[in-house]
Parts: sequence; structure tokens; C-alpha cells
Amino acid sequence: MDMIFPLAKTGAISATANLWLAIPIGIVFGYALFHSGFTDGRRIAWAFYFKDVSVPVVMFSAIATGMLGLWGLSLAGILDISLVYMLPTFLLPMAVGGILFGLGMVIGGYCPGTAAAAVATGKIDGMVFIVGFLIGSLLFGDFFPVWGDFYNSNYLGVVRLDQWLGIGLGTAVFGIVVIAVGGTLGMRYVQNRFWPSTESTPDRESILKLQGGLIAVAVLTAVVFAFFPTEAFIDDSVETPFYIVPRVDAAP
Amino acid sequence: MKFGTRWPPVPAGILIGISMLLAWLVAGRGIGASGGMTRFVAWVQHSLFPAATEQSAYFGRYFADGAHPLYDYVVFLLVGLLIGAFIAAWRAGELRLEVLRGPRASVVYRLSLALAGGILAGFAARLARGCTSGHALVGGAELSIGAWVFMMCIFVGGWMAAWFVRKQWI
Repeated sequence: MDMIFPLAKTGAISATANLWLAIPIGIVFGYALFHSGFTDGRRIAWAFYFKDVSVPVVMFSAIATGMLGLWGLSLAGILDISLVYMLPTFLLPMAVGGILFGLGMVIGGYCPGTAAAAVATGKIDGMVFIVGFLIGSLLFGDFFPVWGDFYNSNYLGVVRLDQWLGIGLGTAVFGIVVIAVGGTLGMRYVQNRFWPSTESTPDRESILKLQGGLIAVAVLTAVVFAFFPTEAFIDDSVETPFYIVPRVDAAP
Repeated sequence: MKFGTRWPPVPAGILIGISMLLAWLVAGRGIGASGGMTRFVAWVQHSLFPAATEQSAYFGRYFADGAHPLYDYVVFLLVGLLIGAFIAAWRAGELRLEVLRGPRASVVYRLSLALAGGILAGFAARLARGCTSGHALVGGAELSIGAWVFMMCIFVGGWMAAWFVRKQWI
């Protein structure tokens, strides 16, 4: 049976329809960013002081959800994973970029998505951050010949954690969920230890139960993954497509 | 149980994860925020210096074969993001012009650092080929090695500088 997802790649919808459907998807994303509290730069920066660890907890939850969904749907034969664009790895440029990005985040208080959401809610610091972000992007592009070679160095191709570690995909998925849950609990512990909460929220008990329940669902799903023969379902000989950021060859 | 304006982090993260899943299912690619901004700034520069921008080693590909840089998936996503955050803030009654900062930081100090941090992050996102959403979250869920290295390095970089800018936040 032919899979119809991803819709735009299998021809189920046109390229134009796909483009317009990006708007509702973006709306869900922006809506979630606001309710995460990330239109307030302080809440983002506080993560680096363990004063509010929502940033890593939200990131862990989003990754766990996306990962279980993406690989679950492809193993179930609903989503054709070979048509999904995968991010290639350029190890050193990504490591250096990550460090600079982290510096920018704690100094500026935002990352691009959260700053854009902050702009939409009227935060002036978010607008100034975006102006800086645009300047930084422009500098990178206009002086590209200076760092173009470094940008394209250390290319490893599309390589996944499970391939790199030589373990099964299901085991890697299970491991990430364990790290996400452990990380969440550990970060919460550190936050409560150094910045004990003074505010009392009325629904604290039921919110804890809800979050605990959601985490339990993720762990159970991950256990299924750990025992699932994923190797039989993922064909790694298929070249994954490569189109968001084509490898720009060294500048003229 | 009512979540109110600020949701607990786990359900909030799950909704972000759902938006990622929708993008994979519909478009076969992840979400992202910085790509749309790069295209926007390329478009602005193109309106001032068309020839130089089209010949640019980095921005040139946005204009290949007469393409319009804003007619692209990442730009539409960014427009949606702005609408979504606006709707959420409007419904919560939190639309207002303000500068958010720590109790010890002046407005000028906060805004100067916002600009400096923005420049750094803008440069870094291009170097790393993506930002927190398109790179760390999407790549992280795709189990990409580069995304996990990027994510860990974000926290290393953040902790390196946290001490020096603490007056801005706490």
C-alpha cells in the first residue's frame, strides 16, 4: 500500500496548498510558544540560572512528542520516512554555532521563534532582539566567503544517534525518553533546591498529576519502541532528501 | 483544572511537538523560525542592492531562476507563528508594549543586550544551519547527531555567559 504522508511529497496535495497549510501549522506553534511563557525573555534566560527550568522541560517534551510521533507513524506504515527531510550534520560548525547561539540567548533573552512570538505580543525587547538577529544573519550572508569553508567543513551526512552508537533505533528512542524524563526531574529538583517557589498555584496537585500521567504515557510508548524490531522497518540504504539548506560550495 | 495563561511545561511542549508532527505529515519537513528571517533580510537587502544580493554566495540561491525569496515554506510558517502568538496573547489579554527585564536592569541596558544577543544568535543560527526550533527540536526528534551536539552546546554557551549578564535577569 502506498503511504500518503507526507502529503506534499507523495503528491496528495499541491505545492501551493502545502505552502498555505504552513500558516495553520505556524499558528499552532506560535500559540504554544505563548502559552509556554516564552514570549517573556526572562523565563528563557532564567533557565541558565535554574530559576525557571521550563525551557529545557518544554524542549524535552516537544522532542519526545515529535520523536515518538515521527518514528511511530513511520513504523506503523503511515508516514514515508524516506521522503522526510533530515537535517545533515556538519559537526564542528554546529558545535561552534551552538555555543555562540547559547551566548546570544542568555545575553539577548530569546531565540528566534520565541522572539518573533514576543514581537507579536508587543514586547519591545523582542523587537530589538529581532533587529539584532536580522543584522547577524545579514553579516553571516554578506561576509560568507570569510567563513564559508568552515561552514561546509566536518560534513558527516545525515547520521542518526542510533547509527552512530551502533544500537537499534528503538533503543535510541527509548534512551532519549529516559534522558528527557530524567532531565526534567533533575532540573526541577535543582530549581526547587536553589529557588524554592514562593507562589502557590491553586491547581498544583492536579497539574502535577496530569504531567506525571503524560510522562508515564511517554515512558510506556518508549518501552514499546525498545522491544520493537525497528531494523526491519527502516531502510537506511535509501538516500534521504536534501533540500532545505543545500551545501553551498566554497565561495568564488 | 484550568491552565490559565501560562501552561505547565509538559503540555506546552507536547503542543509544540504536535506542530512539528503536523509539519512532517503535511510537508515532509520540520518547523523552523530563523530560515524565514534570513529570507526576509535577504529580500530587504535585495530591494536596496539587487545585483549584489543576487550574486551573493549565500543569498544568491534565494533568487535563483527569478524566485521570490519570500515565497517559501519557512516564511509562511513564520507568518503563522506571528498570528498564533498574537491570537493567544490577545485572548489572554496580554497584548501590550513593554520591555521585560530583571529588577536590577535599566531599559537601556536591557535593550542594548537584546541587540547584542540578537546579533550573536543571528550569526550563530546561520553558521549552525538552524535555530532552536528547526535545528534543536526537529533535528533532536529526528535523532540527528548534529542537532544533539548543537543543543548541548547551546547550554554550554548559555552557562558560560550567564554569570556576566546576571544583573539583567535576576
